Amino acid sequence: MIYLSKILGAKIKDSADQTIGILKDVLIKPTPGEYSPLEALLVKSKKKQHYFYIPYHYVENLAADEITLKTLEEKIIDYTSESGDILLLRDVMDQQIVDTAGARVVRVNDLQIGEAEGEMCVLGIDISTRGLMRRLGLTKTGLFNWLHVNLIDWKQAQPIKGTLKLETLSRDLVKLHPADLANIVEKLNIKQGRALVEAMDPKTAAKILEEIDPRVQRILVQALGPEKAAKISERMSIDELVDLIKLLPYDEAKEVCAVFQNGRKSKLEKLLTYKDDTAGGLMTTEFISALPSWTVQQVIDEIKRTSESFRSILYIYIADSKGIYKGVVSLRRLLTANPTDKIEQVMKKAKRLPCAKVHQRVREVGKLMTKYDLNSVAVVDHHHRLLGVVAVDDVMRTFFPHA
Amino acid sequence: MILSVIGPGIITANADNDAGGISTYSIVGAHYGYSLLWVLFLITFSLGITQEFGMRLGIVTGKGLAALIREKFGVKLTVFAMFTMLVANLGTITAEFSGVAASFSLIGVSKYFAVPFFALIVWFILYKGSFKKAEKIFLLLSSFYIVYIIAGFMVKPDFGAAATALVTPSFHFDIKYLIAFIALIGTTITPWGQFFVQSYVVDKGVRSKHLNISRFEAYFGAIITNLVSFFIIVTTANVLFKYGLTITSAGDAALALRPLAGEFAQFLFAFGLFSASMLGALILPVATAYAICEAFGWESGFNLNWSRGRIFYSLIIFSIVIPSAIVLLPCVNLMFLMLMSQAVNGMLLPVILIYLMRLMNDKELLGKHVNGMIVNVVAGITVVGLIAASIILMGVSFFPQLTM
Repeated sequence: MIYLSKILGAKIKDSADQTIGILKDVLIKPTPGEYSPLEALLVKSKKKQHYFYIPYHYVENLAADEITLKTLEEKIIDYTSESGDILLLRDVMDQQIVDTAGARVVRVNDLQIGEAEGEMCVLGIDISTRGLMRRLGLTKTGLFNWLHVNLIDWKQAQPIKGTLKLETLSRDLVKLHPADLANIVEKLNIKQGRALVEAMDPKTAAKILEEIDPRVQRILVQALGPEKAAKISERMSIDELVDLIKLLPYDEAKEVCAVFQNGRKSKLEKLLTYKDDTAGGLMTTEFISALPSWTVQQVIDEIKRTSESFRSILYIYIADSKGIYKGVVSLRRLLTANPTDKIEQVMKKAKRLPCAKVHQRVREVGKLMTKYDLNSVAVVDHHHRLLGVVAVDDVMRTFFPHA
Repeated sequence: MILSVIGPGIITANADNDAGGISTYSIVGAHYGYSLLWVLFLITFSLGITQEFGMRLGIVTGKGLAALIREKFGVKLTVFAMFTMLVANLGTITAEFSGVAASFSLIGVSKYFAVPFFALIVWFILYKGSFKKAEKIFLLLSSFYIVYIIAGFMVKPDFGAAATALVTPSFHFDIKYLIAFIALIGTTITPWGQFFVQSYVVDKGVRSKHLNISRFEAYFGAIITNLVSFFIIVTTANVLFKYGLTITSAGDAALALRPLAGEFAQFLFAFGLFSASMLGALILPVATAYAICEAFGWESGFNLNWSRGRIFYSLIIFSIVIPSAIVLLPCVNLMFLMLMSQAVNGMLLPVILIYLMRLMNDKELLGKHVNGMIVNVVAGITVVGLIAASIILMGVSFFPQLTM
């Protein structure tokens, strides 16, 4: 095992022990999810002061003070670099990467090189303070031995230099929770953040967008441009979308809205009229509702048919044909009830249930939900018509905006 | 509402007139009259240009200055740059807490009470995450500088003489003069201002299509800043310099507002100095910690818990505690401390500017937005001028017989 910082500047000698030059950089051709073998060494020639690449297969031995080659200098055929090549010092060292294990953004302090499957490869990324000390040449003294080396497996690291192709590199990234990804996007600069969001599938991207801090959200949507932003926000739940639209300047909000289909647009417009800190401003209008006259089986079929488009379906809300709120049925009740039972027989009656008024303050709604241990609560207008549903996570978000 | 459209240029400009700024300009005016105005005139261009550098670099690359330094120059040079910035910033934070101490001394409150108390307040505001709100309040309060413009007119100065002084260079080989000279530059163009303006445009996500607006704002902000500085110098020159009075305490500096506020001058000055100091004391520790964490890849932000954000929080506490402790030393002269901190800033500024210039001329980084000839020359002259002045100052300090 050897660190890149140790071999940079090392003398390169050919098989006749003649010094050819010194090592300036190391070239790789990264493949996502694999250790990258060293392809070539960038060498500054001793005599002519010019730079050239020596293919790695000429290397006999790689050590901190000296790199020896198998052949004579005259016999070396230079490597010509291609697009897609990565230079470790220029492109990776000191850059930011996403540590997928810790779900955070860190800087590359050093790179570990060693043998894997018979080839010299980049194995690990040192992100520790010990790595910084090594770069400063301070580890020789042994003074900093108490600091731990903290390595990230090269296979799991996500370089986020704008030019690297994210879509191929983000396999491990996708496994992270959207909330963690959102935190990462917040820590990145806007260009990198945009690249990361764009590399995700629209559904994940939408979830990330929902979780991001409103201030960054606005900047990000502007950076994405109306078309891409609309494409992603189509997958967002409508209450989050409303909050997002409210953040945007008028013109841009209009551009984003223009892309939506009519049904969603009119829902959106209605929701936009409610104040932020009221039940109306917090609620979603996208929830599964059923008529009291339906059978349990009918409702279950309805869930099967439409569940794709809803975020959560813990409760089914019941309203009559005029839209008057009648009651609620939990998924559990549906599962245990007789499939032929009528919904009005199995539901909890609205009369005995708390519900939120559309203009009620968020604090009040929160209190209500805490008192009655509700995961979600129906929102009604003054005619007791069912308008939407406020979920507990929406309430939590208003109290802990930066989590 | 107005605050939401104020851009980074104006904010940095306003924050530039902090405790160090007000005391330095007051001393420059009181001790040297109009004779340093030519420097102020020249550095207006330098300020506009360097602020524009920061904005352009931030907008085009989308990255902060500390991040770019790390990515382009490697660990060793980054440590050097960050150390330079840290020393300069600690100096400026010392000036801010001196400002707090000085303003409270005017209303008879001991610094041994005021400084620890407000150090705690600063930490509390930052930790509770009410930074943005507090920043806006103090920004608004610190626009008190407008009173200097009014005062400047009320003392009925000889504007003709002032205008002539703006374009009439003069120079002395005198230690105090050289310190004032360097401090004047160092308080106007600051290392932290360079980091601050860039991270501001990055955080705000200003897009390339707004580059020209930002450019205009940088120059406009520079003119506004130095217009205020001009009036502070003119006012103190007319109220103090004319009568041979010098500034050794905040009370002396407050005299400048007498023509405007009469007996009330002490309070007005104390209030203004306090607001400006608090604004700086809030911004600087955070800016310092963010820049260092950005450079070394440590996690930063107030949403971190203690174990994850250990380094970030430690840096903030460090940059509040050390400056406060310096101010609390029994025998320091607060005005002198404020002036000296700005001189230190001025001497360290070239280091940061050289890094900045290297980045601004990097084609790989900025593409078609790299520096043109003219701005390179102006920034180059600023760097050379500052280095020359610092060398002369050191020469004069060590070999005073040379000036005989």
